Amino acid sequence: MLTAGPARKVTIHVSENYKYHGQSAYAAILDFLFYRAVSGATVNRGIAGFGADHHMHTARIESLAADLPVTIEFVESPQKVEELLPKLQEMAGTGLIEIQDTTVVKPSEAATKKASQPSAPALKREGKAKLMRIFIGENDKWHDKPLHKALVESMRANDIAGVTVNPGILGYGANRRIHKDTALHLSHDRPMMLSVVDTEEKLRAFFPILDSMVQQGLVTLSDVDVIKYTHDYESEGRRKEVRP
Amino acid sequence: MKLEGKAKMLWIHFGEDDKWHDKPLYRAIVEKCRELDLAGATVFRGIEGYGASTLIHRSHLLSFSSDAPLMVSVIDSEEKVQKLLPFLDEMVDEGLIAMSEVEVIKYVHQDGARS
Repeated sequence: MLTAGPARKVTIHVSENYKYHGQSAYAAILDFLFYRAVSGATVNRGIAGFGADHHMHTARIESLAADLPVTIEFVESPQKVEELLPKLQEMAGTGLIEIQDTTVVKPSEAATKKASQPSAPALKREGKAKLMRIFIGENDKWHDKPLHKALVESMRANDIAGVTVNPGILGYGANRRIHKDTALHLSHDRPMMLSVVDTEEKLRAFFPILDSMVQQGLVTLSDVDVIKYTHDYESEGRRKEVRP
Repeated sequence: MKLEGKAKMLWIHFGEDDKWHDKPLYRAIVEKCRELDLAGATVFRGIEGYGASTLIHRSHLLSFSSDAPLMVSVIDSEEKVQKLLPFLDEMVDEGLIAMSEVEVIKYVHQDGARS
């Protein structure tokens, strides 16, 4: 939690169209900061600018699809900034990151009390791992967002190796209420199962976050052997994954 | 309802067209689970597969007469799951039932009453 006193202000400069794993880099960074319980962050869109490539980004009327400069700013304790920096450097790619010493005079009121988890080693390609299954309903919400979606974003931000959402067609759970899919798939109260695979350590580190997000449902853990975990980023022309 | 620590997970595989007393088998299984007060059951529909009959099950995008593969997952204590097994044995004519160990991390209701 951010308290009054010395702190660091971090500003990350990227361009609006810059991508991180297929998603806007600024949105990915914002998600990352959000799910790593940073006390607050703001994205500002510039109206014109240029960066290391000396390419002018502008919002002139004739070019509506302009690639505008974007800055993401947040203030956190020096330790927290230290902890987040490696991942931020990776996400910002070719962008600029600056850090200034600052003083918090008055912290914002609703600072969250969630402790963040230090990043643990990534899932190895093979060997013992754990499969976590989370059973929830399609209607379940977290901060006005579908819970299954929020969970996937949260896991991504916490570097969990992978997650898949499986909709069910019929089911019931802790609340005894039947969740059903209708013939035309218009119903949005299907049962949802998320399968997550990672090392036991990584999954256990994620439990406090999971616990705060899942208000009703079932979470189980079982043993699995990872046979293969790989992806050909080169062939898709995307940034190379940093996992070993 | 209390569920924590070691538990059993059942996966029941069969086809969408399978019936039990003129009722879809998957519905009959979920109703039986509720009747036996099991912690929960969820039905999933696959898009393609084959099983005991070696007949390919496929779901057709625009037809309602599909025979897609179905899976029902049931999680509860070993004792409760054992109660369900004789019924499943009788109801599932053609299919597969697999059981594995799981550890329950969380099982909660909306009213906040934890298991």
